[in-house]
Amino acid sequence: MLKKKLEGKMSQKKQRGRIRIVIVMAVCGLLVGLAGCRQKREEEEPAVSDQEAMLKEQEDILREETTKAVNFERKLDEYQPLKTEYNFYFTYKTVHPWWDAVALGIEDAAKQYEEMGVMINYEYLAPNYVSAQDQIQRLSEASLRNFDVLGVDVADVELVTPVINRLVENGEKVMTFSSSDASKEEGCNRIAYVGNTHNYEDGAALTETICEKLGYQGKIAVLVGTRGAPCHEDRALGVQDVIAKYPDMEIVEIAYDEDSVDKAYDFTRSFLARHSDLSGIVCCNMSNPVGAARAVVEAGRKGEIVIVGMDHDQEALQYLKDGVIYALGVQDCYSIGFDTLQVAVKIADGHLPGEAYPEKTEEITTIILQEEASTMLRLLYGEYD
Amino acid sequence: MDQSLHKNINKKQTEQTITSAIGGGIIIALILLITTVWVSNSARTSTSMAVNRVSEFYLEELAGRRAQVVTEELKNNIAYMENALKVMEDSDLESQDTLRKFLGKAKKLYGVEKFALVDENGIVFTEHSTVSGLSRYGFLAEELKEPVIHTLNLYGAKKQVIIAVPVEGIMFQGSQIKVCFIQMNINEMLSSLTLQTNNNETYCNLYYRNGESLTNNAFGYLSEGSNVFSALADADIDKGFSVEQMKNDFTNGIQGQISFNYLGYQEELCYIPVEGTNWILTILVRDNVISQQISSVSLRMINRSRIQIIIMIFVMLMVFFVLINQSRKNAKILLEQEKADGDRIRTAFLQIEREQTAMENIHTAMGSGRWSMEFNKHGEMISCNWSEAFRKMVGYEKEEDFPNKLESWSSLLHEEDKERVMQEYWNTINDYTGGKTYDVEYRLFTKHLGWRWFHAAGRLSRRSDGSPITFVGLFIDIDDEKKLEALLEKQKADLQDALAAAQHANRAKTTFLNNMSHDIRTPMNAIIGFTSLAAAHIENTEQVQDYLAKITTSSNHLLSLINDVLDMSRIESGKVKIEEKETSLPEIMHDLKTIVQADIASKQLDFYIDTDDVVNEHVFCDKLRLNQVLLNLLSNAMKFTAPGGMVSVRVLQKGIAQEGCASYEFQIKDTGIGMSQDFIDHVFEPFEREQTSTVSGIQGTGLGMAITKNIVDMMGGKITVASKEGKGTTFTVALQFRICYGAVRQEIIPELSGLRALVADDDFNTCSSVTKMLATIGLRPDWTTSGKEAVLRAKLAGEQNDEYAVYIIDWLMPDMNGIEVVRRIRGIIGEEKPIIILTAYDWSDIEDEARKAGVTAFCSKPIFLSELREILESPFTIQNVDNDQMTEEPSFADKKIFLVEDNELNQEIAIEILQEAGFIVDVADDGAVAVEKLKTAKPGQYDLILMDIQMPIMDGYEATRQIRALGQPGLADIPIIAMTANAFDEDKKAAFDAGMNGHISKPIDIPKLLALLRDILY
Repeated sequence: MLKKKLEGKMSQKKQRGRIRIVIVMAVCGLLVGLAGCRQKREEEEPAVSDQEAMLKEQEDILREETTKAVNFERKLDEYQPLKTEYNFYFTYKTVHPWWDAVALGIEDAAKQYEEMGVMINYEYLAPNYVSAQDQIQRLSEASLRNFDVLGVDVADVELVTPVINRLVENGEKVMTFSSSDASKEEGCNRIAYVGNTHNYEDGAALTETICEKLGYQGKIAVLVGTRGAPCHEDRALGVQDVIAKYPDMEIVEIAYDEDSVDKAYDFTRSFLARHSDLSGIVCCNMSNPVGAARAVVEAGRKGEIVIVGMDHDQEALQYLKDGVIYALGVQDCYSIGFDTLQVAVKIADGHLPGEAYPEKTEEITTIILQEEASTMLRLLYGEYD
Repeated sequence: MDQSLHKNINKKQTEQTITSAIGGGIIIALILLITTVWVSNSARTSTSMAVNRVSEFYLEELAGRRAQVVTEELKNNIAYMENALKVMEDSDLESQDTLRKFLGKAKKLYGVEKFALVDENGIVFTEHSTVSGLSRYGFLAEELKEPVIHTLNLYGAKKQVIIAVPVEGIMFQGSQIKVCFIQMNINEMLSSLTLQTNNNETYCNLYYRNGESLTNNAFGYLSEGSNVFSALADADIDKGFSVEQMKNDFTNGIQGQISFNYLGYQEELCYIPVEGTNWILTILVRDNVISQQISSVSLRMINRSRIQIIIMIFVMLMVFFVLINQSRKNAKILLEQEKADGDRIRTAFLQIEREQTAMENIHTAMGSGRWSMEFNKHGEMISCNWSEAFRKMVGYEKEEDFPNKLESWSSLLHEEDKERVMQEYWNTINDYTGGKTYDVEYRLFTKHLGWRWFHAAGRLSRRSDGSPITFVGLFIDIDDEKKLEALLEKQKADLQDALAAAQHANRAKTTFLNNMSHDIRTPMNAIIGFTSLAAAHIENTEQVQDYLAKITTSSNHLLSLINDVLDMSRIESGKVKIEEKETSLPEIMHDLKTIVQADIASKQLDFYIDTDDVVNEHVFCDKLRLNQVLLNLLSNAMKFTAPGGMVSVRVLQKGIAQEGCASYEFQIKDTGIGMSQDFIDHVFEPFEREQTSTVSGIQGTGLGMAITKNIVDMMGGKITVASKEGKGTTFTVALQFRICYGAVRQEIIPELSGLRALVADDDFNTCSSVTKMLATIGLRPDWTTSGKEAVLRAKLAGEQNDEYAVYIIDWLMPDMNGIEVVRRIRGIIGEEKPIIILTAYDWSDIEDEARKAGVTAFCSKPIFLSELREILESPFTIQNVDNDQMTEEPSFADKKIFLVEDNELNQEIAIEILQEAGFIVDVADDGAVAVEKLKTAKPGQYDLILMDIQMPIMDGYEATRQIRALGQPGLADIPIIAMTANAFDEDKKAAFDAGMNGHISKPIDIPKLLALLRDILY
């Protein structure tokens, strides 16, 4: 009886075990079936092509190089302003895109100060035509309006220096900026200067470039901006000194266009008319190369006349890209404006040149050729091919 | 054997069942699997095709919407600028700072990079800068005629959108503002339009019509910022599309689409012109991104479905077997448990029934009614049960009369309790924490007993989530307790009131005693002090006279204090009666003026008294009390007005009154110290004195106003006060009197009809009232408040041949006194026309001078119509109205007076006064003595008897009665005057009733006594 019961129990257990095996097998079969049914994944996304990678690499290199020419990634230094609000007055030679570029540097620096809770109010004004008398009048009037610092891009050292000195004697804080200084050596008592400190060298370097291009022989004409403007005069001096080094090189004419493209154009036309054997033109300011290139293209002498010049005018860069202009000296105007404001804040806080800032803040000039024109156009003006 | 067979059959059946279940399960699983795979594959294919078709439409729609957003954004910005210019105010243009603040606000408000104004010289003004902008902003080269949208490619590759609007009519620092513009970073503007994720599915960009990019945004696999046509030159354009077509579309601003393969990637580009600009907005989508997304999604869906099915089948089988086994095991156990549970439930039900019966019995015994409510899981009531005991308590027997629903009970709630009770009810139900107990008392309208108070309390049983299940409670009739409670509350309140009243009375008594103590001691101190000083300096006549004057002043004050206290006491005890007699208002007003004249003069006050519209001059009123009221008010006005101030009295007759009556308003106004609002609220309460009274040294009992108010109340009138500290006070007494006889004659005086009259008085009110009276009489009156102007008018009237027939001139005018005015007018008009001087002051001192100057007559203010009429009807002989000061006083020499007075001191004083006046005085120290003495006297031995009232043996009344009863002519009718400290009206009446002829109260006011003696003897 007991045995039967045991047998019965044993057979029940076996039956249950069989059922479990069937279930496990069925489930496994299903899983295998399902695995077989699984479809092949879609193709993987195509990898980035070599061509694209190469383009990107080239772009990166160009960007890096040109970034060195004009640094738009400027950040304020660690100096903590003593006040929460400043009022500055800046006047420069004339209303011109070159100074608009400086203005952008000032504007961005002011924005960064605002983000740290310091308000910068400023006036940035110039006459429509270069005029030292106008500049003197502007400085005199501004001195009556309690600005923290007066900044001036000196239009004429001889005329403006006495005015700066008088203002300094009266307790005004005066600095010079952008393109033209009136230095201590020249008897000016301005506190500091921010801008191009190597105009002579820039003129000389451009001239070396054209001389090299011309094989150190030929006649050239020189276009200068405003008579008496230190930056223009220094560059012109640099041009003359380099040419004087090479006996086969000759300056046939020097003309001042007073920062007017139209006048530069007119002067170039007359150069071309008067000097049929002219080989090149050295341009010492921003308006010069534009006017010169227009006249050369109009005369159908692209490729014959080698033009070198200053600055980053968009039209000039386009001429560079098209091969009308051979070389351009691009100044870092953005940094000039940016540093001008930083130095102005420190001057306003009563600091004299020394640890806080140098007496002259130097900004770089980079000479670029045709192959760099597109990159520069893209960097400065977002202009793409 | 059968059992074994039965077991085998069962076993086989079980095995078959299990095998069938497993087989069926596997078949179901396979069907599910196959159908799922088939459905998902079909779905993936169909979805992919549908998406491809839809994506084209989607792209167009997407591009259209983006373009619309850009257009709207540009339009909105133009509107913002125009709005900002509209709200610009002149103050914003006051300086560079204000302009910069305005521009800063506008910039922040509209969230733009720059909000700027440009003047005619090209100077650009922004929040923090002022710059020369002609070279930077090319669009400034030409004059702006309408809003324009520019793009600006700034140095530094900062592509900006400039939206500029022309400006007119705004000048700043001498230059005209010509343009307003805002500057926005174009990339930021577009950032919200691009749908980019990790895989960069869609790209949005803007191009000029020539394909040049406005932005430097990444754009699919095309190079950043490239000219789109240049970029597409390297692409494989799909069949049916062409770059030429696209160029044409761009040039002509037409919407379109292009499909191409660029660097091995299939891409779709849709373009659409942006309204109001020369821009083309493009949307680019990569096809492979879409297809990959769709495939990926579909595949994931299919795989998930497969796994889901496997798990489902596996779980299903496991559950199936577990359930079979478990059900077998549980079946037996359940059967036994069910049986045992059935027994327990039956026992429990029996127990509950017994307990419920017991509870019902308890409720019935306690007079409480049970109620219960059931709720579903949503908290909604599903049943309500009112117990029989409950029903009976509210007067209902049957369920039909009081159904088992909430409204049966709630509709009987008292309106004042309903909201509170229902709120408590719902708060209890909705308190899911279960901590709240329903406990309220309220009134319910019972069927037979009306409103009754009940107390209800209850608790809820709740589910695990807190929702209510059963709400059970009790309901007890507490009406008797409530009524008892209310009664106790009332008794308590009454007791508190009584206590408060007692405390108030006690405080009042204390205050009164304090005040009296102070007020009596103050003059007493002066009297005693100066008496001592007088005794000490008796040889120094001048000094003694000064002391005596001060003693008199203090004595008078003490007397007035006593009079006030007694008056108040009598008023409060109701002993004062208003006795209306025929009274002349002009007489009252003139008397009033006469009484206060001396004080007015001594205090150097300006005094105005006039009437307005008084046509009923004779009325029935209690002259004495009216005088008292007006004198009280006037005395106060004088008391609280500093020298140089003004006091005025004005009586007006009001139009509205009962028939046979006339309404009057007496206004007593001063420019004194005024009262605080706090004091005004209590000014008519007894013993109230403004704090400043004692500070300013002005004495008073604090009863005057209370007495005045009480008298006015008794006369049926009303007294009001308006006052401002430091400015002055106006008391207005409104009274209504019965009219004695008709109104004053108002007919025109024919002789004066149409003639001109001039009134000159610096008081406008006098001018107004006299002018009205003159017009009533028939004259053509003019008036002026300037003496100089009166002279000019007189001159002008002569020049116009329309001279004034009569002049009424105020004596005292600020710019020229009346006498001078009269003198000058006389110089112009000659002697013929009458000039009447109108004055509130005693004119006796200036009469001679005035008459020499040409004054025809004097008239005392206030002037009433009857008086004016009388004076104008008279032939203007030299006479005066109200000139009662010219009569010669008679002498008392040789008059014999019999003084009956028991107090030796009073005897001495009276003898001194009477002998001083010329009387021969005989004395008796009691009424009885006097009677005896008179019985033996001869007729004519005494001209008059002064009789004290309270005497030890026989009082004055009795003595008088006995004298009157003597029957002997010349003795029985001898004039007897009561001279007593009993000064009340009833004392006077008693004196007259006893047969006396007059009454004079002690302390003796000598002028009054002499005046009374004069009246009686002459």
